[in-house]
Amino acid sequence: MLRMDGVRLVHGAGTPTEVVALDHVDLEIPAGQFVTVVGSNGAGKSSLVNVVAGVYRPTRGRVLLGGRDVTRLAVHARAGAVARVFDDPLAGTAPDLSLADNLALAAARGRRRRLSPAVTPGRRSGMREDLAVLGLGLERRLADPVTLLSAGQRQSVTMLMAGLRKPKLLLLDEHLAALDPRTRARVLDLTLQMHERLGCASMMITHSMRHAIEVGDRLLVMSRGRVIYDVAGPAKTALTPSDLVDIVSGLGDAPSDRQLLAG
Amino acid sequence: MRFLVTDTLIAGLPLLPVVMGIYLVVRIRQDFDLTVDGSFTLGGAITAVLLNHGLGVPLAMLVAVAGAAVAGLVTTGLHLAFRIPVILAGLVMSIGMTTLNLHVLGRPSISLDSGRTLFGGLIGLAPEVQDWLTIAILAAFAAVFLAAVGYLLLTEVGLALRATGVNPRMARAQGVDDRRSLALCLALANASAGLSGALTVQSQGFSDSSTGTGTLLAGVGAVMLGELIARPGGASRVGRVIAAVVAGTLLYRLILVGALRAGLQATDLSGITALTLVAAVALNRYLPEIGRALGRFGAGGRLGSRAVALDGPRTAAVAGGRPVADDGPTVPPARQPAAAGRASASATMKEAG
Repeated sequence: MLRMDGVRLVHGAGTPTEVVALDHVDLEIPAGQFVTVVGSNGAGKSSLVNVVAGVYRPTRGRVLLGGRDVTRLAVHARAGAVARVFDDPLAGTAPDLSLADNLALAAARGRRRRLSPAVTPGRRSGMREDLAVLGLGLERRLADPVTLLSAGQRQSVTMLMAGLRKPKLLLLDEHLAALDPRTRARVLDLTLQMHERLGCASMMITHSMRHAIEVGDRLLVMSRGRVIYDVAGPAKTALTPSDLVDIVSGLGDAPSDRQLLAG
Repeated sequence: MRFLVTDTLIAGLPLLPVVMGIYLVVRIRQDFDLTVDGSFTLGGAITAVLLNHGLGVPLAMLVAVAGAAVAGLVTTGLHLAFRIPVILAGLVMSIGMTTLNLHVLGRPSISLDSGRTLFGGLIGLAPEVQDWLTIAILAAFAAVFLAAVGYLLLTEVGLALRATGVNPRMARAQGVDDRRSLALCLALANASAGLSGALTVQSQGFSDSSTGTGTLLAGVGAVMLGELIARPGGASRVGRVIAAVVAGTLLYRLILVGALRAGLQATDLSGITALTLVAAVALNRYLPEIGRALGRFGAGGRLGSRAVALDGPRTAAVAGGRPVADDGPTVPPARQPAAAGRASASATMKEAG
């Protein structure tokens, strides 16, 4: 579903502050696969997400979504294929707009917006059903501005919005980081349900070693703009958080013996 | 008193479109577009020249509105192509358009052949009847226009427009092309200014090169006054937004007409505009505190809880008030007298100043 061929991203090329954010990333994530990504700060995780979402255009290489080359498409032009959930739980919704308006906005993602009413009685009842699944009582608050919702509720709504149109890729950018432990568990559950139901490829950036190991089918470790570690199946579940911390922090560019053995 | 009402309506109703347009830019896009000063004049100038050349009213007004919309698109183009901030692009446009408007008019001021205007059919009627029929025609235009904009805002396209103003990053992630949204917003705002200009010159019987000067500022003042009264809160309550625009525009005109009636000179009007704007901002800012203070004396608990929501739902949430609960049917009776009281208070303040 997602394919990246030799993607390189350089910020400020040719200036003294030149930074290589991504250095030849080759990656293929098939439909239905859930991939977790870890890495220290500055490893290139955000750059990876932003290149896939279309915020940055890669200096070299190609990005394909569902077989279509989207390398040169702007964020809004590829939004039909990528559903993104931000790290800031407040970033995924429009605060002053009502819950119904937010959902209606997401329901038209990736298709032409029409001059017909965005929120109709029929759509409202569909929204109520969708919200009832969250179990947060939000189905009674369609007219409320989203700003009245808590961060956890807003991130849940953002997850729901991500699934309203079938994306090819669910892009989760540390979307649990700012939530309290109970909310985090709930939103993670919702994430996994959503992934199952949509049958899309999912990529989850996380700082939690435990989530990285326990969640999903495959684990990537990034360092200095490269994917330095790529593990799936039993080898992934056999990892312990402390193994993973060693891999993420201790290595620099060169993989250690231990990592090579583990791989 | 009767003249106060008719003068306010005749001066205020033609401005409803432009204030709505300014609302779209200022409150929904959170930006300022000075182009409207130029487009207002342009709309008036095109209408005047075409009518004097014998064109029919509908065609002349259509060309005026289209011309003004193009001005908005040029501003959008300046912003997108050269990354000039919208406020600066608008300033450049409004200055450039002064020259353009003088060329359209041919000389600084021209008078309209009153028989050819929208109100040509009213000639010969008793002045009072003439006034009220003028008001009816202007009100019909304003009503159709506001209904159309209100409907547009409620559509999928309008929703995208509202979302780009509140959270552009999220809107893009939801597939909204924010360049196109900006173009739509500025074209619409300037088309509104053009329509207002066309209506204004026809009702006043002349068009000059400074008709539109100060339109943006006056519009922002009207928007703020309107928000004091109708408190639209978020952009999801489109009906409230329109109510705020209507109330603000008419109240603002009432203050100006009242000031003139109270003996001030036309030359003082710019000062009154500035004072009204400052008063509206100050009231928006400090009314919550005044309300709370009153509430402490047990006199205006209701006013306090309403006023808290002025800055939008966020403040309300912080203060523990729920604007949703506020929206109940109990509000209207309490609102009207308070609003009227405030209006007359600021009017008297103006007269005194």
